[in-house]
Amino acid sequence: MLPGRSFVIARHRQRSMRTLKFTYRMELRFSSPVSRHYFALRCIPKDSPRQKIHLTRREVEPAEYLDELEDGFQNLKLTGGCLAPHSFFRFHVEGTAEVEGMGFQEEPLHPMYRYPSRYTAFEPEVAEFAERAMERCREAKAEKILEKAVCVMDYLHANFAYVPGITNIGTTAAEALRMGKGVCQDYAHIMTAVMRYMGIPARYVNGLMIGEGFTHAWVEVYTEKGWYGLDPTNRLHIDDYYIVLAKGRDYGDCPVDKGCFFGNAAQQQNIYVNVEEMEHDRDRGINGTAGG
Amino acid sequence: MRELIEHTEGINRLMARFGVKFGIYKNGEFHEQLFPFDAIPRVISREEFQKLEKGLIQRVDALNLFLNDIYGEKKIIKDQVVPEEFVFSSSGYLPECEGIKPPKGIYSHISGIDLVLGKDGKWYILEDNLRIPSGASYPMIAREICRRVSPSTFSSNPVVDNRNYAAMLKETMDWVNVGGIPVIMTPGRYNAAYFEHSYLAERTGSELATCSDLFVEDNQLFYRDYRDKKQKVGVIYRRISDEYLDPMTFLPESLIGIPNLMDVYRSGNVAIVNAPGNGVADDKGIYYFVPKMIRYYLDQEPILHNAPTYLPFYEEDRKYVLENLEKLVIKDVAEAGGYGVIFGSGLGKEKLSELRALIQKESRRFIAQEVIDFQDMEVCEGIDRVWRKADLRAFVLSGQTTRVWPSGLTRFSRNADSFVVNSSQGGGFKDTWVLSR
Amino acid sequence: MGIISIEKVDHLYWLGRYTERVYTTIRIFFHIYDKMIEQPEGIYAKYCERLNIPNIYTSNKQFVRSYLFGEENPDSVVSNMKRAYDNAVVLRDELSSNVLSYVQLALNTLESCGKTTAPLLELQQAVDYLLAFWGCADDYVEQEDCRNILKCGKYVERLDLCIRLDYHRKDLEKEYQKLINRLKKTSLCYNEENLNRLREIIFQEDGEKIHDQEALCCLGGLLS
Repeated sequence: MLPGRSFVIARHRQRSMRTLKFTYRMELRFSSPVSRHYFALRCIPKDSPRQKIHLTRREVEPAEYLDELEDGFQNLKLTGGCLAPHSFFRFHVEGTAEVEGMGFQEEPLHPMYRYPSRYTAFEPEVAEFAERAMERCREAKAEKILEKAVCVMDYLHANFAYVPGITNIGTTAAEALRMGKGVCQDYAHIMTAVMRYMGIPARYVNGLMIGEGFTHAWVEVYTEKGWYGLDPTNRLHIDDYYIVLAKGRDYGDCPVDKGCFFGNAAQQQNIYVNVEEMEHDRDRGINGTAGG
Repeated sequence: MRELIEHTEGINRLMARFGVKFGIYKNGEFHEQLFPFDAIPRVISREEFQKLEKGLIQRVDALNLFLNDIYGEKKIIKDQVVPEEFVFSSSGYLPECEGIKPPKGIYSHISGIDLVLGKDGKWYILEDNLRIPSGASYPMIAREICRRVSPSTFSSNPVVDNRNYAAMLKETMDWVNVGGIPVIMTPGRYNAAYFEHSYLAERTGSELATCSDLFVEDNQLFYRDYRDKKQKVGVIYRRISDEYLDPMTFLPESLIGIPNLMDVYRSGNVAIVNAPGNGVADDKGIYYFVPKMIRYYLDQEPILHNAPTYLPFYEEDRKYVLENLEKLVIKDVAEAGGYGVIFGSGLGKEKLSELRALIQKESRRFIAQEVIDFQDMEVCEGIDRVWRKADLRAFVLSGQTTRVWPSGLTRFSRNADSFVVNSSQGGGFKDTWVLSR
Repeated sequence: MGIISIEKVDHLYWLGRYTERVYTTIRIFFHIYDKMIEQPEGIYAKYCERLNIPNIYTSNKQFVRSYLFGEENPDSVVSNMKRAYDNAVVLRDELSSNVLSYVQLALNTLESCGKTTAPLLELQQAVDYLLAFWGCADDYVEQEDCRNILKCGKYVERLDLCIRLDYHRKDLEKEYQKLINRLKKTSLCYNEENLNRLREIIFQEDGEKIHDQEALCCLGGLLS
């Protein structure tokens, strides 16, 4: 997970729609066979007003059963299991997404996005950082919700360092702030916590971003006009280069893949993610790794 | 009744024979303790019970409607009857349950409502237990034994038979069963209420299962047989808490639980008794709003009263609480089982001001109640009679209709000066008689 | 209902074994206790050796206390009774409260008679409860399969003790037959080879002393 592509800020923001081709492959190899393996995958983007999805491939193996559900956060979730012994597990998702550019998604607000959650608790580090961010908003005369959110994003981007390998999937916003560095998940948690601290509803988003690499995480804030996406890791507005996979109060609500199994085995994981633009030649050159 | 009381020791001996115990952990070690039985019953007249019954049904119906609403349309929030803060920042609220329609729309199948009888002769609700309330098995088996020991007591007193609890429970489970065998799921024999789990399984003819007996396949729940056959489970009366139900949805580090159970449930392929997520409705903070729920959903006046309660969250209440702290009971909404209860009268000056500061800082965390002057009950101690604080846990079962079990668990405190009747903190129990005329 | 989980099968089998172990060892103990009146100190050593339990005892008197009631002694009668109880308490729904209560009573009796001066009087009571347990189990355990598994445990244990304590060939044949009768009625997986070898050893015609160790091995590996 490398830092993002700041040069892209200069790209065309006015384009209204783009068609992206995406691939998501994950493979787990176990050093010895495991059994009673259950999994839950949120790796399939869902149709929404901002993205129309056409799936060309959806493979999960081995799977003795597989079911598609909507979870409590209205994400698409593949649930399944393989009870018999097996020594690998993989899934492969491929398709195209017609994605709209920057914009607001009108949707009634679920009140849970106002309150702190497991990863975004208002611990002293969060409160302190939020107070400073609010100070910054006042200086910048940011009054509207979106103005404030952008201001916080800028402040966070400038005062938190992108360094992989320091934090992990269990790191909370407060812990990441204490260390002063982290990856996209930490950026998203901190920003979510700060926005909520300021009284602005916010949620955590998992998804894909143009370029080859890993899954990405960003934030949506609830404005007067609806949800609006911001990527604090790259200091970008969410546009038609992003595909949404799942949302929740924080990472804990919407992990891309989660599994449990019986067996004492070492696992080796390989992930391949690629998102590229179809048909138009213009932006083909972009191949920076999505920030993680 | 004298005959019955004279045989207290014999009754307790029979209880020991049947293993009527509860487990407690002392210094990290598991111990089984007999649950001391006092033979002097709590007697509730027919008229009194009829009123209680009406009030309890009303309350539990409203609570079930509330749960349906919270995990569905959230009208009560939109209409600003309950502030959203009390719902969505409660640890009992589980967004993972959003959008799930439990079979037959029932969330709280077995509700344990704790009441006390005030000196003014009125019943007051102390708290609602909508998750996994325990205790019905004790008066059930106690009655069985008492009838054996002193038949004349029961031929000369018109006591409604309470041994139908298992039948009521079975009907409730059958009503929501989506097709398959009934199972009672226990965390294991080292659970405080293990006796009850095993006794109810025996009496309802359900399979008693631990997590390892159950597994998910084809998005259905199965019970594993030793001959490698499997049985589909249609209803699971689980006696483990929400967070341990499914490691794939809740605590990932939990070793117990059934992976992907919540998906089976969401797909309507199994009924879970009681439904996950009920904690949002029996939160000590939500308690304050139950009378409002009754008015809102049922358009009725509440029949049973809450203990007078203040929410420091509201400015007016906060002012009152801060001024009258020394005569109030303060409860931490996050704590359960008799913990986190502070009597203002027992605090020194310094502690009082510390508490005041805490209430001001974290007003959402506490509720404050007037100390109810409740009626003590007579308890035998050797050949003497002493007076002890006691409460009543009424059991309300929601199936095809909502019914109140004509009995209940009366618990009393161990010490004269204790207000805490929770069995995990010592104390014993009594039978509860409802008279038929 | 006719369904029993793997875990419950295990508990049924071991409940059968431990109740039988307690019952038979108490009965044997009555003989030893009687012999001790005239015989010199230390006659328990041979008994320990046969049962293959460590001889941790220092005197006849101490043996009586520790072997019967020593809660810290893993080979004591009360420890075995506790194990029986541990297996029974998780089987209330299969056994019924009625049947379970006799295991509880036997345990309570053993635990309390450690405190009296004439423990053997009370031990008789424990034996009575165990007999009541078996009688009651026959009558009130509804599933035939449960009863058969329980009895498999019982007869495996009985045979094991009979071999160790050098019972007469005819006794072994009788107990073996009982075990076979039950085993064939269950759907338990057992080791066919072990069973055949066990049969050969017990029914051998040469009149020699049977091969104890091999027989015990076959028996131990019969169900696992």
